[in-house]
Amino acid sequence: MENLFQQNMARVNRRQLFGSAASGVGVAALASLLGGNALADKSTATPGSKGLPDLPHHLAKAKRVVLLWQGGGPSHVDLFDHKPTLQEMAGKDIPDSIRGSTRLSTMSSGYGKWPCVPAIKPFQNYGQSGIPLSSMLPKIGGIADEMTLVKSMHTEAVNHAPGVTFFLTGSQVPGRPSMGSWLSYGLGSESDNLPTFVVMTSSDKSKTCGQLFFDYYWGSGFLPSRFQGVRFRNTGDLVPYLANPPGVSPTARRALLDDIAIMNAEHLSDYGDPEIDTRIAQYEMAFQMQTSVPDLIDFSKESASTIERYGPDALAKGTFGNNCLIARRLLERGVRFVQLMHAGWDQHNNLYTQLEQQCADTDAPAAALVQDLKERGMLEDTLVIWGAEFGRTPFGQGDPAKPNGRDHFGRAFSWWMAGGGVKKGNVYGATDDYGWNITENPVHVHDMQATILHLCGIDHTRLTYRFQGRQFRLSDIHGDVVKGIVS
Amino acid sequence: MFKVITQRCLKLSWVTLAGSDFAQVSTLNRASHIATIILFAILSSQPASSEEPIDFNRDIRPILAENCFYCHGQDGNKRQADLRLDIRDQAIKTNAIQPGKSSESSIVARIHSESVEDQMPPPKSNRHLTADQKRLLEKWIDQGANYSDHWAFVAPVRPPLPKLANPNWVRTPVDHFVQAKLEAEGLTPSPEADRATLIRRLHIDLIGLPPTPEQVDAFVNDSDPKAYEKLVDQLLESKHYGERMALSWLDAARYADSNGFQQDGDTWQWIWRDWVVRAFNENLPFDQFTIWQLAGDLLPNATNDQKIASGFNRNHLLNGEGGAIAEEQRFVVLFDRIDTTATTWLGLTMACAQCHDHKYDPITQVDYYSLLDAFNRVPETGTPQFFSSRIRVGAPFLELPSEEYKLKIAEFDSQITELEKEAAPMIDASFMGWRAGLFLDGEPADGKGLPDDLTKLLKKPEAERTNEEKLSVETLLRKYFDEKVRSSINYKSPAISKLSELRKQLGDYKANSLPRVMIMSDDKPRESHVLSRGEYLKPTDKVTFNTPGFLPPLAADAPRNRLGFAQWLVSPEQPLTARVQINRMWQNLFGVGLVKTTEDFGVQGEYPVHMALLDWLAVEFRESGWNMKAMQRLLLNSATYRQSSRMTPELRTRDSENRLVARASRFRMPSLILRDWSLYAAQMLDPRIAGAPVYPYQPDGIWESLAITKERDFTYPASSGNDLYRRSLYTFWRRTVGPANMFDASNRQTCRVRPSTTSTPLHALTTLNDPTWVEAARVLAEHSMKHSTVSADQIRFAFRKVLGRPPRDKELATLEKAMQKQLAFYTEDPVAAKAFVEVGSATRDAALELPMHAALTAVCLAILNLDEAMTRE
Repeated sequence: MENLFQQNMARVNRRQLFGSAASGVGVAALASLLGGNALADKSTATPGSKGLPDLPHHLAKAKRVVLLWQGGGPSHVDLFDHKPTLQEMAGKDIPDSIRGSTRLSTMSSGYGKWPCVPAIKPFQNYGQSGIPLSSMLPKIGGIADEMTLVKSMHTEAVNHAPGVTFFLTGSQVPGRPSMGSWLSYGLGSESDNLPTFVVMTSSDKSKTCGQLFFDYYWGSGFLPSRFQGVRFRNTGDLVPYLANPPGVSPTARRALLDDIAIMNAEHLSDYGDPEIDTRIAQYEMAFQMQTSVPDLIDFSKESASTIERYGPDALAKGTFGNNCLIARRLLERGVRFVQLMHAGWDQHNNLYTQLEQQCADTDAPAAALVQDLKERGMLEDTLVIWGAEFGRTPFGQGDPAKPNGRDHFGRAFSWWMAGGGVKKGNVYGATDDYGWNITENPVHVHDMQATILHLCGIDHTRLTYRFQGRQFRLSDIHGDVVKGIVS
Repeated sequence: MFKVITQRCLKLSWVTLAGSDFAQVSTLNRASHIATIILFAILSSQPASSEEPIDFNRDIRPILAENCFYCHGQDGNKRQADLRLDIRDQAIKTNAIQPGKSSESSIVARIHSESVEDQMPPPKSNRHLTADQKRLLEKWIDQGANYSDHWAFVAPVRPPLPKLANPNWVRTPVDHFVQAKLEAEGLTPSPEADRATLIRRLHIDLIGLPPTPEQVDAFVNDSDPKAYEKLVDQLLESKHYGERMALSWLDAARYADSNGFQQDGDTWQWIWRDWVVRAFNENLPFDQFTIWQLAGDLLPNATNDQKIASGFNRNHLLNGEGGAIAEEQRFVVLFDRIDTTATTWLGLTMACAQCHDHKYDPITQVDYYSLLDAFNRVPETGTPQFFSSRIRVGAPFLELPSEEYKLKIAEFDSQITELEKEAAPMIDASFMGWRAGLFLDGEPADGKGLPDDLTKLLKKPEAERTNEEKLSVETLLRKYFDEKVRSSINYKSPAISKLSELRKQLGDYKANSLPRVMIMSDDKPRESHVLSRGEYLKPTDKVTFNTPGFLPPLAADAPRNRLGFAQWLVSPEQPLTARVQINRMWQNLFGVGLVKTTEDFGVQGEYPVHMALLDWLAVEFRESGWNMKAMQRLLLNSATYRQSSRMTPELRTRDSENRLVARASRFRMPSLILRDWSLYAAQMLDPRIAGAPVYPYQPDGIWESLAITKERDFTYPASSGNDLYRRSLYTFWRRTVGPANMFDASNRQTCRVRPSTTSTPLHALTTLNDPTWVEAARVLAEHSMKHSTVSADQIRFAFRKVLGRPPRDKELATLEKAMQKQLAFYTEDPVAAKAFVEVGSATRDAALELPMHAALTAVCLAILNLDEAMTRE
């Protein structure tokens, strides 16, 4: 029991050192209650969670991850996978020999016509590596030499929610832990006063696509709930209940917390349950978060040129640009997994109007994040991932004579990655002339999960959690690390 | 000897579960973590006594299951080297095991091998045998390598009550078993908790609402020797008992008030939720509770309640996304139904056998799909049906018009009839005018947008039409007119426009207000097949309903459907159902189940420390007529339950998880109960039972991540008045975004039977800053101020409302000092004081002195946030 008190005191003293105002009286009282100040320098207990003792399994190339989720399914043949054949065949049906028996969504599976629709804007080669990308993505083109472009992603999902859930949790059915939860569970926290796993959401301005974000995209499934992602909100407090109630000053709160701690410490001495000590610690960390979280959106120390780089929306709450900027600040402060979820790529019937707008909104911020991390020396151990649940059909949706959109397409699509352990200026995998079938190096959802964990120093077959008599893992029972992505 | 056995059990369970349980252990602080490691070290250093016989189920099966069965078990697809270790004959035939001769058994050589190729389990497998485990395996082989059936698959037999050295402590048979184990361990039970603690504990466990200080005093001063038992009986009869019991059942049933995907349509499943509360209150025997929920619709002359109960298996997610493949979704629902049913009643993870024979348990893929056949007869599509932008429900459902609904419809109908009369001449005249207009240009059929069948008829010269066709023309024309044209003449008469408006309102009202609770039905028999790798597009062998082959067979005359299945679950031969349910009851009262792996009684599940007790309780449960309240009474009246939950250093070191139950368990109340507790302490709780969900305080924009669709309005429809203060059970549960202040709750997406009670900073922020708690604190403060003008009495009043017991002098002194500090802040800043005491919508007595009220509010908030206030001790 001695030991519990010592840790408790160590934490209290630590708080004092780290300078929250007006901690004086209560802490002194607590110190005397617990028998003096003999424990000053044995500060080992930190409120942040520790990872598993056997991790990492190997040297981690990435210490933290930022996932730029592009919900809805960006069109690979318009943006990343250049197919001149679609131009030559424009308006003509995609040959049966190519289409085969591909399973499509019920929005297009009953079609009798499959008219090729070429990329809506030209492609151009970017960087020294000369990776061809859409001219709608000039800024991302500017970081072409940092990235691996994977053109051979594939999934079994035909719809959004199951598709997103598949990538983020390893199963199309909601309920398993998400990738960020696994990493938090395995690797623990590097921050004492911020959550390990943070989620932010944004959507296209005209809300054309309506891809919704569900709690299970960042849920902890059967892992303890403290590993679930904390979503920063776009209205009100960044974190629910972060702000003190009206009329409660930080000073008044500090005093009250000290008194609660004294009462709890007395109770600890009566009951001897270590959970009481944990509670004392968590109340303290809650207080710290009340300062550390608002500090994340205090951009007063960011230079004008930095803010400008993140695009015109950089200071507008709830935009992708703003979220990218906050993401960098989170990563700097030791947050392990930052998951940005942006909606608006689901162009069933507005390809010609919305896709370009969508690119314009997201191109600069994504590229800025990579460049900013690079300039701060963080890119080498930060993994940046840009991708979605699927791509879009190379044929057009709508009136076959005048198609205006594309349907969901999981058989082949593209992702890009940069930073921690990713090959630079690299293209991996390929598809046929129509962007329909993968012709080399397919990368399945589970392969991507295995690769992401690998880059973080984790063998995906060994990060497991026993639930219902089975060892579960992110990659289910599949997946191989894609060596061609790893530097 | 007993001591050694128990210790080895503990050790094995720790080793087996090390991978998974590390996280749970580390939710405790480092000290207990270290304690556990020390415990482990101590136990590891004690080799099993050499004379002691090995028990296959307890000692060996967990090792084989964890390390060997994945490749050398039941699943033929993954089996390596044609070697099975799960069947004794097979293991002997292949020389892997030579009974009595460990040195000649190939598995012994392989487990000791240093070579990467030969070593078992392979180094790459992420599985590892400790030196102790290797020794145990050798000894087992030397003792004859006896196998036995997995304990949980053999029906329980009532064990005799163990003999005790000191039987004085015993109150119910439960205590015999607990005391016997404690005696073997050289431990003594903890003293009985004081009465204030006991009444609070009983209130938490049975109704989830605090005892009033008057109730505490009455109980503390009750000289009746049966005072405790009386209290138990009283609480079991409380109307709030069912609400409390329902909480964990809803977690298992993945109950929510919406579908859970895009559009996330709201449902009427709360009608099922209300049935659950009623069933617990009425003490429906568990066998009936089971049969109704799994097959109530199939009972002869099924009542509405029996049909509603079958909604258990309709609480699943429903995907109505554009483009979703309905048949694929139907199978997702089916699989979920099997998983949920198997976990809840059998404590088995059937899900593994969806794709292949189970790797650990003797469940084959054929078993899985044979069971699935019973659930594959529901007339459902796999996607929800659109009723309004808000309501989406999938057939089959039961329509349950309320009295209010019927009245409203009658009102609509009479208004419409009235207006029809008024408007009829006008409408008829318009129709004739429109009809005439059709023929003005002589070409009646073209360019008018009329339906094809009508056009065809009209093109036929009038003289050539048969009588039938003539009639048909008139009917079709009038129909077309009513549906498509009439709305354009609304402006001509207020009566007509009112009529159209009313019809629309009626449609909307029906869609939004006619309760349609989803239930089960067998109206659509289908052929069922084994699905290759669980893929719905790859059916293979045809199967028909049967129960898993390794469990007792269905009675010959049993109905071959869900009803037969449900009856089989509660048949006397069934080894699992009673154990699984009684284990959950134990878990609710003691924090951890007798089998810790509540969701898994298979070979990978925990071998229970208190096996005999579990079996005794399971048999008693069945023989009591599946009487749930009687079993509760048996547990609650035990001396075991009545112990203090104080943790001595010795107990913390020897049994940090309290598996030996040498004390009562201490755990944080579920967040849903924490909210109820605060509201009740502040005398704000609206105690109404049952009804449609309510929308109490949530952070602004709680559903903002959904509000990016135009398909429906996702504005949170905040409640007002008393609805703000209903029990948490009645809070609307959106499956895609759960209530923000009900932390650690089950996600209500998949079946959950083990609760999570972690402690995080976000939880602290909730109970410190959520208006729910702040408002409760300021109303509690108001009551305190009305109770007394003396500061110490005010604090004592609030303290007792929350904690039951009076504060000790030292505690009172601390809180009084806290009060003085807060008073100083608020005296200096009356504006802040005003803001603080105006949180929430409860009216406030303006006569209360502001700084005083604010300071006392802060103190009340502190009391609500005390560890003790949030903990069941």
